[in-house]
Amino acid sequence: MSNQYTVTATPQAESSGSVALAVASLPATFGPVAAGEAARISALDGAPGWAAEAIKAIDAGASGIVVVNPVPENTAALRDAAEASGTAVVLDRRWASNPGLAGAEEAVRTVAGRATMLDTVATAAAGTDPQRLLTDHLAAVVRVTGELNAIRVVRRGAHGYTVCARLANGAPVSLQGVLSDARRPGVDFRLYTDDGGVSIAVPEPFAAWPAEVRATGPQGELLLPTLYESAHRTTWRRLKEHLDAGTHPSDLARFARLTESIAILS
Amino acid sequence: MSSHSQATPLSSPEPLGVGILGAGPVTQAIHLPSLARLRNILEVRHIMDVDAAVAEAVAARVGATHGTSMDALLGDPGVDIVAICSPHQFHADQVIAACRAGKKAVLCEKPFAMSGDEAARISAVSEETGVPIIVGAMHTFDPGWLAAEANWGDLPENVHTIRSSIILPPNARFEDFATEIITRPAGGTPDYSDVEVIKGALRGGIMGLAIHDLPLVRRFAPDFEDIEVLQARHVRPFGYVISLRAGDRTIELRAAMNKTWKPEWVFEAISDDATLRIDFTPSYVQAGSAVATITSGTGTRDTKSTTFGPFEHNGYEGEWRELAQLALGTKQPPPTESLINDLTFAIAIADATVDEAAAEFAGARQ
Repeated sequence: MSNQYTVTATPQAESSGSVALAVASLPATFGPVAAGEAARISALDGAPGWAAEAIKAIDAGASGIVVVNPVPENTAALRDAAEASGTAVVLDRRWASNPGLAGAEEAVRTVAGRATMLDTVATAAAGTDPQRLLTDHLAAVVRVTGELNAIRVVRRGAHGYTVCARLANGAPVSLQGVLSDARRPGVDFRLYTDDGGVSIAVPEPFAAWPAEVRATGPQGELLLPTLYESAHRTTWRRLKEHLDAGTHPSDLARFARLTESIAILS
Repeated sequence: MSSHSQATPLSSPEPLGVGILGAGPVTQAIHLPSLARLRNILEVRHIMDVDAAVAEAVAARVGATHGTSMDALLGDPGVDIVAICSPHQFHADQVIAACRAGKKAVLCEKPFAMSGDEAARISAVSEETGVPIIVGAMHTFDPGWLAAEANWGDLPENVHTIRSSIILPPNARFEDFATEIITRPAGGTPDYSDVEVIKGALRGGIMGLAIHDLPLVRRFAPDFEDIEVLQARHVRPFGYVISLRAGDRTIELRAAMNKTWKPEWVFEAISDDATLRIDFTPSYVQAGSAVATITSGTGTRDTKSTTFGPFEHNGYEGEWRELAQLALGTKQPPPTESLINDLTFAIAIADATVDEAAAEFAGARQ
């Protein structure tokens, strides 16, 4: 089809980002590239050096780039290259890309001024790199809360970490990372207010498990509509929207702020 | 698992007599409703309170003798078991007096002392008199906890992370579901710009709220004497965020008391390949036991969970069942060393928490 964007993915990106499944679920927009042809969209894994790989893809003429679970690194040159070429670069984040977080963001914004505590726990399998877990965790938290103040590491070790910070209104924030094979991987947020709060449970992107967002107040508890779409597919759908509209995603700008925060914590 | 109570059947030719020192909301909303479920084995016979009208009104609900004198209650031959539900600062002396009065068993509401010295005095008197003492750490008597304890295998040796999270509405919400309260302590408007207020709130949070779960935490922290508080923050209006290390164990304590209707009281112990999660019911209401879930796993997609509970009674009723057994001599009392260790653990955390919070407060002001 003439309006279809052809896609190529590195083996690592295919593995970590389920690219074939995501592309197959948007068949009117994306499709695999034919042998010998140059793809219009490149999917890359976010291992160290990913920003340089993305610049290479832009130089090769990519219209769009998806980066799966990028590690923190300097993206200034990539941002310049993307702007100059008009290439849309989107980041497929393990938890921060879950479609349920859009509703969560709104629910949190509504009560943020009355927040008294944010307690959030991220869980990953034993043996996971705690720094990698913290990056994914913090990305999901700031997606919902905005920037955190006075962020610092309380402790870190082979079994996890604790990071503390404050919300804009001064309420204490605690991010705890736990490594265990006996807990379901994911992120759990608990934002408490004077009379209720917002709870958010974000699952892994391996399947279209929905995030559960619950807003609790004096009248009871509201479960926001569940969205059975994986973080991977959401990312590709977002890319499609930017390509169709000719707009530039803000992913890299937000990622630069996250990288600064992670640098403070390192 | 069965949903039936795991309690050991009790038998006594006639009910044991109970005397209660202090007739405030805890007595009215927790102990009297729990004892009402155990009338075949326990009978409230004497209520003492410094407020004569309160003592009379509360005693009238159960047909008990009343008065303002501790000595009169301890001298009442109908009283076999003494429950100490007075303000914290009176606990130690009253426990000692009850032991010296030759009672059959003593329940002391937590904390059972406010210092290591007081705890040592109590221990000495308990040993000298042989009177068994238990502390009202109700979760340690909860059938959900006890079922987990019987089934967790080597989890305590392997745990690396422990979490206690307590989210509660004001006590009055659940007191009013449990009874018709007479007299409540007056509330105030704290000045959070005063570091002494923050320190007092945090110490109160540890010794009044966290202390419910600290005996549970200590079961998973063998090096409990080697503690370091890593962060301590006050949560408004009442609560805390505390991170600490005990030996090589990470301990995270969270609490918030606000106007929510939705209680959450969760204890977790986590190792590389197993977890224990316990969801406790709120205090005051007779909402049955906690539900405990033990999960083991060798990979993120290969886990197995076993759930224990809910059983029919909560930890408060469990305390009274235990007291009856102790008074009848059908069960051995807990070693006083364990009670002292629980207390010194709590005091050490409270002291270090207050110091850490004061340092943070000073830092924030610079």
